[in-house]
Amino acid sequence: MSLLKSRTGILVMIGIIVSLFVPVFVANKFYIDILSLILFSAFLGQSWNILGGYAGQFSFGGVIFFGTGAYASSILLTTFGIDPWIGIFAAIAAGALAGLFIGFISFRYGLRGSYFALITLAFSEVFRVIANSVEFTGGGVGIFIEHAPGIKNLQFTDPAGYYYMALVMVIISLAIAFWLERSRFGAYLIAIRENEDAAEALGVNAFRCKIYAIMITGAMGGAAGTFYAQKYLYIDPPIAYSIGMSVEMLLVTIVGGMGTVFGPLIGSFVLHTVNEVARHFIDTPGLSLIVYGVILVAIIGFLPNGLIGLFKSQKKQTGGKSDA
Amino acid sequence: MTKKILKSGVSRRTFVAGTAASAAALAASNFGFPHIAKAAENVKIGLIHPATGFLAYPGGQLRYGAQLAIGDINKAGGIKSLAGAQIEALLGDSQTKPQIGAAEVEKMHEAGVHAISGCYQSAVGLAASAAAAKYNIPFSIDVGVSDKLVQRGLKNVFRMADGYGRIASAAATNLGAINKAAGSPAKTVAIVHEESEFGTGTAKLMNKYLSEQGFEVLETIKHANPTRNFDNIALRIKAMKADIVMPINYPGEYVLLARTLRQQKVDFAASYSVLGGGFNFKFVKDLPQIAENMIDVNHWYDPKSSAGRALRKRVEADGKFFTFEVYLAYLSIAFLADGFERAGSTDPAAVNEALKNSTLDPMFMPYGPTKMYDGQNIGSRAVAIQAQKGDVQIISPAEYASAKAVFPRSKA
Repeated sequence: MSLLKSRTGILVMIGIIVSLFVPVFVANKFYIDILSLILFSAFLGQSWNILGGYAGQFSFGGVIFFGTGAYASSILLTTFGIDPWIGIFAAIAAGALAGLFIGFISFRYGLRGSYFALITLAFSEVFRVIANSVEFTGGGVGIFIEHAPGIKNLQFTDPAGYYYMALVMVIISLAIAFWLERSRFGAYLIAIRENEDAAEALGVNAFRCKIYAIMITGAMGGAAGTFYAQKYLYIDPPIAYSIGMSVEMLLVTIVGGMGTVFGPLIGSFVLHTVNEVARHFIDTPGLSLIVYGVILVAIIGFLPNGLIGLFKSQKKQTGGKSDA
Repeated sequence: MTKKILKSGVSRRTFVAGTAASAAALAASNFGFPHIAKAAENVKIGLIHPATGFLAYPGGQLRYGAQLAIGDINKAGGIKSLAGAQIEALLGDSQTKPQIGAAEVEKMHEAGVHAISGCYQSAVGLAASAAAAKYNIPFSIDVGVSDKLVQRGLKNVFRMADGYGRIASAAATNLGAINKAAGSPAKTVAIVHEESEFGTGTAKLMNKYLSEQGFEVLETIKHANPTRNFDNIALRIKAMKADIVMPINYPGEYVLLARTLRQQKVDFAASYSVLGGGFNFKFVKDLPQIAENMIDVNHWYDPKSSAGRALRKRVEADGKFFTFEVYLAYLSIAFLADGFERAGSTDPAAVNEALKNSTLDPMFMPYGPTKMYDGQNIGSRAVAIQAQKGDVQIISPAEYASAKAVFPRSKA
């Protein structure tokens, strides 16, 4: 069935059209800014989802690609005066190359499961230390990007500019996930996730497929890095290679539903909303985090397939089909 | 769904649950949204500080100091040129994240904020002040030492206290003077600094300025944030036999390094920190033996001023420590209120112009006359302070000194 004719396809089209008009109808710029953060988080989650959700290679180092991309475009801009419009493609390439490097070393030596997760965590620390130690990244001082609003510099005075940029990124990430679910390559990744040895026995080149997957993850992470750098105009090693951001990527995906097209988007939306609601009603600093944590653990405990599992189980009960 | 087992033997569900549970507290801060605790009227000043996270203590002190100032100004009749308009605070929590700090600005802008004071961390201040620049919202940096904060050409950003560039210069000059007065017993320095812009930038400058004062920097040691064990660094310092140990780091690491140096019985003439995050009355009271004779170059109030002594008394009566965050936040609010007063308007352009031409009396700070140059108050200055017998004394410069330096330190 063609995607565009399916129920999911129609819902996606409606969602995109509604999203396009959100800044027109929502006057409060703060909400637009928050929606940008939600979309940004969803995009990062989707980048993790390609490797972790579809290929089953759980990574604790998703931030590596984000940071590398942020540095790539920022260095090109501040050192060579190259526009971030070109820089974002360099960031995508840098992220993909970082993925190739880490993937080659890790998969070449057969690291899987927890071992792969740990080596990616180690790599993120290695990248942070390197960024802290070399001159061209600005070392611990970091890189400052000049405040020069304008489309040429990918800097917007209206939060709607960043919103649309994040929206485009999310739409592209959804398209990648759709393609994966319907392509032979995606089927290979899922086969590897389910049983790598069996997949290889059936002729799937697991090493190559995993390398491609981590490169896609890396490329997406790189693009996110440019988005961040141009929005906040400052990048340093603790920001670029923060473990907190790695956790955020996998958490939105796990909560939303790993290995699904909409999981990261749903996870990002729900987690941000839950946190905001908790903070809104609880003034004591820190207490809202406890409430948030309890809700989070409850979601994980009762919905091991993520929030998207709710829709699937409902469809099973009603005999409907799921496109998610 | 069939149960999936990872090759390492960890089940998918266990991985998922374990990851989420262990990461919940850490991750929660990443999903945080800015929070405005109180709706505001009249002149609205946004306070953006790290109310949660590893910098919650200094963040709380900053918020307290700012609210103290707002209370005092309101009690004294508010902004008189605005018909006694009261100042109301919009409270924001940056959660130590630049993106959250910037989102706070958006939220406050929607709430009609007229000026903002913040943010403690330079990285957050950079992002938040750039966000405020889009709306030309006056932005006063209460604490934030990166010189880039006021060197980006943003017309809405001001800072009453010093940045690390001038503080580093003052620190080296003061150390040179103290050492000379004692007969020049110290010749070598070991710098230990945290790895972000604050520590790295300051350490780089200190290398230059210390050489100019005739000191030899034996080693510049960088450490991560957080660092929970300084044994190796302490042993390295012990081995190199540096005369001066120079910490440049945040509160937790500052105190831990000081403790470790004592535990490892490292012998040195003085601990001379620059913007030592942990050097304050709390440290001196909690760990008097360790703190005794430690020197720091930092923002500090003028103990000779009656306003300073009175403010300290009030703060301590509230059960708080009189840390630099409290009085710098107080000063930042006074600076903004003075801008509104002289502008006679809440129009951002008018207030920014008034702030640019500020001649605010620095009240309880050991500063010269206020004069803004590119957003930086060049009348400000840091002083050298030393823990002496359970209290903190200014030891340099001479015109503000409340006691003589104990240098080299006494060895208890």
